Amino acid sequence: MRRTRRDFLRQAAALGGILALGPARVLGRGAGEGEAAAEPAAMAIARWDAAAVDPGLAEVARRLTVQALDAVGGLGRFVNRGDVVWIKPNLGWNRPPELAATTNPDVVATLVRLCLEAGAKRVRVGDYTCHDARQSYVTSGVAAAVQAAGGELVYLEERRFRDVELGGRRLKSWPVYPEILEADFLLNVPVVKHHSSSRVTACMKNYMGVVGGRRSAWHQDLPACLCDITAFLKPRLCVLDAVRILVAHGPTGGNPADVRELRTVAAGTDIVALDAFAAELLGQRPESLATARAGAEAGLGRLDYRQLALRELTVS
Amino acid sequence: MSAQRRGRNVVWTRRAVQALALLLFLGLFLAAHQREGRPAGGLGLFFDLDPLVLLATWLSGHTLAGLSLLALLTVAVTLVLGRVFCGWICPFGTLQNMVASLRRRLRRVLPRTEAFSRWQRAKYFLLVALLVMALGGAHWIGVFDPQSLFYRSLATTVLPGTQAAIEKGADAVYQADPHLGRAHLTSASEPAYRFLRDRVFVAARQVFAGSGLLLLIFLAVLALNLYRPRFWCRYVCPLGALLGLLAKRSTLRLVGTDAECNDCGLCTIRCPAAAQPEKHGRWLPTECFGCWNCVAACQNGGLDFRFAWPWRRPQASTVDLKKRALLASAVGGLGGLFLLRITPEAQGRVYEPSLIRPPGARPEREFLQRCIQCGLCMKSCPTGVLQPAWYEAGLEGIWTPVFNARIGYCEYECNLCGQVCPTQAIVPLPLEQKKQVKVGLASIDTSRCLPYAYGRECIVCEEHCPIPTKAIYFVEAEVPLREGGTRVLKQPRVDPDLCTGCGICETRCPFHDRPAIRITSANESRHPDNQPILPGGSGLDSYGGGATG
Repeated sequence: MRRTRRDFLRQAAALGGILALGPARVLGRGAGEGEAAAEPAAMAIARWDAAAVDPGLAEVARRLTVQALDAVGGLGRFVNRGDVVWIKPNLGWNRPPELAATTNPDVVATLVRLCLEAGAKRVRVGDYTCHDARQSYVTSGVAAAVQAAGGELVYLEERRFRDVELGGRRLKSWPVYPEILEADFLLNVPVVKHHSSSRVTACMKNYMGVVGGRRSAWHQDLPACLCDITAFLKPRLCVLDAVRILVAHGPTGGNPADVRELRTVAAGTDIVALDAFAAELLGQRPESLATARAGAEAGLGRLDYRQLALRELTVS
Repeated sequence: MSAQRRGRNVVWTRRAVQALALLLFLGLFLAAHQREGRPAGGLGLFFDLDPLVLLATWLSGHTLAGLSLLALLTVAVTLVLGRVFCGWICPFGTLQNMVASLRRRLRRVLPRTEAFSRWQRAKYFLLVALLVMALGGAHWIGVFDPQSLFYRSLATTVLPGTQAAIEKGADAVYQADPHLGRAHLTSASEPAYRFLRDRVFVAARQVFAGSGLLLLIFLAVLALNLYRPRFWCRYVCPLGALLGLLAKRSTLRLVGTDAECNDCGLCTIRCPAAAQPEKHGRWLPTECFGCWNCVAACQNGGLDFRFAWPWRRPQASTVDLKKRALLASAVGGLGGLFLLRITPEAQGRVYEPSLIRPPGARPEREFLQRCIQCGLCMKSCPTGVLQPAWYEAGLEGIWTPVFNARIGYCEYECNLCGQVCPTQAIVPLPLEQKKQVKVGLASIDTSRCLPYAYGRECIVCEEHCPIPTKAIYFVEAEVPLREGGTRVLKQPRVDPDLCTGCGICETRCPFHDRPAIRITSANESRHPDNQPILPGGSGLDSYGGGATG
């Protein structure tokens, strides 16, 4: 990708700003909020309290998201004032939210709101979908929720992908959507689903929605390809939507009998750990998951997420 | 008010009505796309208003069931006012008016006198031939019907071409990013592009097989206006012919007096229909579009339209349609019918594997009796799987909608094609019912499919299969490798009980030249004779034998 001098200056200035202000922000925040925000967790799992009064699934999703994000230090830890944020949900399929083939709209909308509250200038939401995006954005409920929250829907256009040097083991270069790379912060928000190839689709698999080209060929060596794109994108934060999960006939689903309402949201800085947790939610051992294992071997994170600074919350 | 003043006022009113009708046509055209929760009714308004569509579909389908009777309104109006549909409403006619006026401006010479030509009878003979064919069940009016021709041309050529030009232009600016200091051209071009994309076009750009030839036909019809204004309407249009016959005794009639006439010829120069307004008493109501140009042109106020009782014989002439010529046209229609029907497909002996019709399409014979090749289903299709047929359905079914699953697929959550079809050639099925319809069956080409032929993993077809319990499943097979040893691979299989032939597997197969999984028309719900597979699983469960092993 060509980089103009203007881009360079802008990025250098932004980097300088982060270096100068970043620690101060964290310190100031810690002092201001007292003991509640003592040490941000590397990973947080927010589960809904089954005994609590049910305020409806939308509100449940909202509270889970807020609490999980709070436990990892809040979005202020990742988003700077004036940033452009790209939220990458899984909107691959033209399915309503009840079928758990796409990321929960309330989780996405809550993240949009939190990003804006953290000072983001623009929050853009987009996925390179399998079905027609004009349908799946709407059917998934995400279009309406994002617009109501003040986010910006972006329809990715096939012709605008550009070959980017990934420098991976399997993929040297591949078409990636430039506007996603230009964003200051990429927030990965997958839904936990069964998948016939990777067995589980969660965080790493969700990155298939930032690439174009003949991406279906990735299935011939999915673990390596996903490691390459993950290593290139250097994830700083992922949010795992397990409000509803799809346990069979994924990733498209379509049968309500294959959906489980888990009422769980996890957030964390370790993408492999989150995928390992997702595997457990689907009844799989993390070590049996080729993608997560490959990710751990490639140094992208760790499978034993319980060894991280983990905070488990019961939300009501 | 003098007749000429009144004529001028009416002409301007007509132009306004024409503009509104054309805008309505284009608005309905652009609105034909999928949108949640919006009814698809009304999108085929101009087809509903077309009495030729009604008459010919009634003749070929032998039923009025599922047809709009709105066209009777056009018939009533024509009986009273003459061929005003051609002069005031028909959007294709309006476009031709515009091209013809371009001719006047470009040439800057006095146009020639538009005298009646005997060739104008051709449209009546074409109408007779087409109606005879329709009576035999061959519905070819869509090839010539102006609403169909215009809509089809817009949908398959003009719109995709315009959209492509705008997209490519915006992309070029986006990628080159020309700027002067801080002023980037993209800050103007991108919002403009997004406005057009999201508010005007809305639907994704489509591509159509053989659209070049369709464009040539469309441009040729328009170009003929440079030779004679409204050439198509005068000489060819079978709808114009039908309306002309109805207008023979219309109550609004052109009246002129020799006393006021100085033979200046302005009226006939301005007449787009060559309806002989200058020859008093020999005006041709079957040709006249009721445009009032002649009234507005006559400086002596010598021409006017006046109402008369229908039983009064008009002071007018008629086009002499010789009985022998009419008979010849009918025979020609029979000949055309015969020509279309000698193919093996038309005889019902074989099934064309690539002849995959939209979900809800009637059995082929009935489908062809109703489809008017208008292209509304193709315009509405969100994925572009519906393509104009060239050979798949024989000459009889030219430009009727067929699947091309390399271009698109049938969206599981969509039933729009049936909702918009103006003649119910595609039955408007409720969504849940449409999901049960099989349009064909997928089959795997094991000489190409990666886990079969090349020892590689691939699950793309299964991944995309929209059937809730997946019509594609895996069988694990131990495959020997070149370097020795074996590897266990998931090989896809198709469950014929579940597969609806939607074709997304073919669209998404990593092979884009000839996909390793392809759909054919086998198993289609509409033809029991084309269903080779006994439904109900592979076992012998019903007699307790069960699948062995």
